[in-house]
Amino acid sequence: MQAKSDKDDLLKLILENKGIILKICNSYCHDKADREDLAQEIIIQLWKSGKGFTPDFKFTTWMYRVALNVAISFYRTGQKQKEVIPLAEGHLNIQDNLLEPFHLEEKSNRLQRYIAELKELDKALILLYFEEKSYKEIAEIVGITETNVSTKLSRIKEKLKQNIDQEKK
Amino acid sequence: MEDNELKNMWKEYDRKIEESKILNLQSWVLNLQAFEYIKTEKAKSKLNALSRQKKWMIALGFVWLFFLIFLIVNSLEFSKAFFIISVGCIALFTLIAIVTYIRHVILIDEIDNSESLVETQEKAAKLQSSTLQTGRILFLQTPFYSTFFWSQQMITDAPLAFWTISFPIAIFFVWLSVWLYRNISFKNVNKKWFKILFSSSEWTSVTKALQYLEEINEFKKERG
Repeated sequence: MQAKSDKDDLLKLILENKGIILKICNSYCHDKADREDLAQEIIIQLWKSGKGFTPDFKFTTWMYRVALNVAISFYRTGQKQKEVIPLAEGHLNIQDNLLEPFHLEEKSNRLQRYIAELKELDKALILLYFEEKSYKEIAEIVGITETNVSTKLSRIKEKLKQNIDQEKK
Repeated sequence: MEDNELKNMWKEYDRKIEESKILNLQSWVLNLQAFEYIKTEKAKSKLNALSRQKKWMIALGFVWLFFLIFLIVNSLEFSKAFFIISVGCIALFTLIAIVTYIRHVILIDEIDNSESLVETQEKAAKLQSSTLQTGRILFLQTPFYSTFFWSQQMITDAPLAFWTISFPIAIFFVWLSVWLYRNISFKNVNKKWFKILFSSSEWTSVTKALQYLEEINEFKKERG
């Protein structure tokens, strides 16, 4: 059981880094209701796993690991949190101006659309790359070697570029 | 197209995300604390469903095992040697399956989302496909279902029928069960016989997990 002050600190850190949660939710879910379900599940899992956080890692590295693991499992199993016991404040409510990437023509959304087509682990890699994480940190989060990170990222970037270039023609 | 162009596209999208808000995050999180949500929340994840399913199987396994032991204890005669050996072997495989299921339940509790993506995803997929691994072990007991009714009298009274029918059938089941034990693995998930054998809906999540394991193995490989 975590001490109350530890929990407060953890929740403060989660709140400060909510952008990470939102970006992961947007990369793995295209439907608004699913994004909200996933955000809720990620926060719960971060809170539950909090006592496992050690200063061996940066907080964001740990947070990316938990959030991406939850997102991949959520995406893979098509899990919906419809059975979650409602809290007094109800469901998390995300307000964004993002539309489903499949229906948008803007450049940034074209990129999102092709990212959405990637396999779960490749998606995690490119997300961390765009978040400007070092290869060392990406390797720690994903669990493969730095050389492997570099090789895979080159291939993924090439694939994204090809898809975008083809669409331009 | 250069890498920078890709990064700029991402930054454009990133700006939109920065404008997004979780409207009730603060109050929702406060509730999370106030109600000790985690304590009361009934785990609904797929893995927990798998854990519940395995606990049921363990319970059923014990019932079956006790029944088999009951049969053995009540048949302790030399004339029923084939029956005792066959049922004993079936009981042994049932016990192995029960122990395997107990180990899986423990492993499910040990899944840690703060481990690396590859480690956690691999463990989860292995557990989801573990039903198949237990199935492999249980296939090994098949030959004993074709031998439990054998007796010395059956061999001496009707040797032709025994050596031309019963014995070859048992040998066939030995071959089949060993072959299945050796070949049921994610390496053969795309083979036609595998798809036919595990085509029913209850195996879908298991075969998907096997395919995912194959994907993870590919992902881990370093290629120049």
